[in-house]
Amino acid sequence: MDREWNDSQPIYRQLRDLVVGMILDGILHEGDPLPSVRNVAAEFRVNPLTVLKAYQQLVDEGFVESRRGRGMFVIDGARALLLQGERQKFLGEEWPRVYATIQRLGLKAEELLEAASDRPSADTPRSNDAKEKPKS
Amino acid sequence: MKILRYTLCFVLMSVSAAAFAQSDMHKPADTPAPSAAQKSFATMKTLAGEWEGPFAVAEMPEMNDGKPLHISLRVTSRGNAVVHEMQEANTPLDPTKYDHPLTMLYVDGDQLNLVHYCDAGNRPHMTGKLSPDGKIVEFALVDVSGSTKYGHMEHAVFTYIDATHHTEDWTFMMPGDKPMHAHFDLHRVN
Repeated sequence: MDREWNDSQPIYRQLRDLVVGMILDGILHEGDPLPSVRNVAAEFRVNPLTVLKAYQQLVDEGFVESRRGRGMFVIDGARALLLQGERQKFLGEEWPRVYATIQRLGLKAEELLEAASDRPSADTPRSNDAKEKPKS
Repeated sequence: MKILRYTLCFVLMSVSAAAFAQSDMHKPADTPAPSAAQKSFATMKTLAGEWEGPFAVAEMPEMNDGKPLHISLRVTSRGNAVVHEMQEANTPLDPTKYDHPLTMLYVDGDQLNLVHYCDAGNRPHMTGKLSPDGKIVEFALVDVSGSTKYGHMEHAVFTYIDATHHTEDWTFMMPGDKPMHAHFDLHRVN
């Protein structure tokens, strides 16, 4: 897979975000094993050490656990933990900018709700992300 | 008389030239012995070539599936620098597209220096020392330029086993100063 990486973060961090996205979108479930290092490295054409850095980051953050001799698995409660963190991140980092734009444009609550109702449900896995799931 | 003067002059010039040449011939004996840094660098240069082998990360033994890495070591800049490149085996060497970290080694004064150009966007600078048996060059961190927000390389050890076999141990500090130890077991492929 020829994935375009952005230059703002190291690739291991972007791989970590990809796995986080897969957990939030329900592509990877709690208790599921993470894809093998070999497969991810081959599929995304990255250094296997980079994949391990991404996985280690997920372990350090408490979303993934290592089971001796078996591999690495998404822990129970990982999605709730991630949602909590991502919501706080959105409200703290992104919402002030979004709110400032809403104020600047004079958008009303009903207009925003109407626009939101046209969007697909957040619980539905995004088709693009589903395609990006590495084979395990 | 004039001819005799010219002849004498020529003889004197020849004798001085010979004496000068002889003193030059003795010069190498006066050259100082190579410094510890130069010896370490010479050891690193013996590793020039293409290497492949599996790697293992101590913190994640269950994920070590034997995937080989390819390491390229190249002497360049008229022998003044060694370039070390790390990539997944059987991928094109294209550091603009793939995450192929590059490391430069060089001698500056009485120190063997290593600068690692990390995918994490920083450049750790280490200095190396050769073990008394002349087989291990160990690098310790001096400083890092660039942000360490996403971690940084902290330590490196090159162990010479024989002309076709060496190992490398790299320690990467994850955010929060949690170390990741990677061990590469490398055999010469070219």
